Amino acid sequence: MDWKVIANAPWIWIAGFIQAGIGMFQAWYFLRLGTRILEKHGGYTSKDIGAIARGAFITAIGPILAEIFVMMALVIAISPGYTWQREGVGVGSVFTELVQASNSAVGAGQEFGADSFNIVGFATAVFVANISCIGWSLGAALFTPYLGKAREKIARGDIRFLAVITVCSTLGIFGYYAANEMKKGGGKLVAVIAGAIISAFLFKLADWIKRPRLKEWALGIAMFAAMYIAHLFAGAS
Amino acid sequence: MATEKEGFVDIEPQIFEKEYLKPVHKVGFWTCIGISAAMFIPPLLLYLIYGTFAPWEAIGAGMALALTYAVPFFFIEPISYYPVYGDAGNYMSMTTGNVSNLRLPCAAVAQAVAGVPEGTRKGAAIAAIGIAVSVLFGVIGVFIGTLTGGWVTAQFPQWLTEAFKQYLLPAVWGAVFGQFALRGPAYALPALIIAGIPLMLGLKAYFTIPIAVFGTILFGWALYKWRNITPAGGG
Repeated sequence: MDWKVIANAPWIWIAGFIQAGIGMFQAWYFLRLGTRILEKHGGYTSKDIGAIARGAFITAIGPILAEIFVMMALVIAISPGYTWQREGVGVGSVFTELVQASNSAVGAGQEFGADSFNIVGFATAVFVANISCIGWSLGAALFTPYLGKAREKIARGDIRFLAVITVCSTLGIFGYYAANEMKKGGGKLVAVIAGAIISAFLFKLADWIKRPRLKEWALGIAMFAAMYIAHLFAGAS
Repeated sequence: MATEKEGFVDIEPQIFEKEYLKPVHKVGFWTCIGISAAMFIPPLLLYLIYGTFAPWEAIGAGMALALTYAVPFFFIEPISYYPVYGDAGNYMSMTTGNVSNLRLPCAAVAQAVAGVPEGTRKGAAIAAIGIAVSVLFGVIGVFIGTLTGGWVTAQFPQWLTEAFKQYLLPAVWGAVFGQFALRGPAYALPALIIAGIPLMLGLKAYFTIPIAVFGTILFGWALYKWRNITPAGGG
């Protein structure tokens, strides 16, 4: 049987459904738990929670669409079933998956995406991609409680310092990703700068004109606008 | 909710511990164990149904390459991201991936919409809601995307698909950076410089990310200690 047929047979879709089921149950449970504590002890109404969820939903549109576009490389090179199994709740982003599939192919003495890639390469990819990412989920299961304790220890209950840690770590993470793209120059540099300016402006504007709902849209709008500006710039240069 | 910034009152720590954190850890632990176990299903099914199992030498070589790439991130990601998204956020992010490009931006917007100060218990619950929404929406999106194969993406003009592939991620990085630069303007430029130097030196991501995160925290700590400067707070 052709490996491409096996790679899209029901077994892999079912495996994907089981994994996605666990991930969705977890998300649904935390969503309910967070909503309940905020409504019961935080003074939030269901309308407030709705606004929070809407903001997250709007923000997620761009990155999820981008994920789907990039994911097509995996759909074409391996199969839709494999892509669903790895990306439904796949621990790695699409980029990680592509790297891991290439690593597996190299391990099997083949080249990912080339004609030489066959059932052996595929079976290796199935094993390597799935098993190598257990480190993340197993690490979370075993060590998450300690992360909180470590943070408490460092901040010693000082709320203002906790705010410093949070804002600085976010700026550190995104500073890294932003600087990494800025280094590449051209449209990517433009996308980073435009994204930063538009998003900062929209968040500020929401406060100025007293329209808190604008914040739900701010990141989503900034992403699309910056992407478009970068496209125009790249086309013009 | 818009009044969160003035006279902010957080959830009582004991209540938060008992009614939120305890069930979060319990369900987080078991779902993460469950997903780890479920990762064995695909290779097992492939073997049971088709009798195909990758040769051990290929697995050994592939795993060695894959783990060289992944292992540093097993440690760096949770430690670096935890202050932003909290316990539930960590369980979800380490189960579903796509952290910096999807989970963190959704958590950041959720907190901005609520106008909640950073690093608080309310902030953690709100980030969890934002991330949970992104997970539920993301799984459905990916399912539709894979089921329809290239049909959905083929409906978009070529230039737009290319723009998404090339520029959406840099735009996300910039947008979240801009949002937080507003909350802590004093740290924005130093954060870029602290990340930029190891990048210019060509250090690997697993060195550069911790340098960027902890370097910026150290800078923030110094400003706090000696100048009593803290973030602006809230949305």
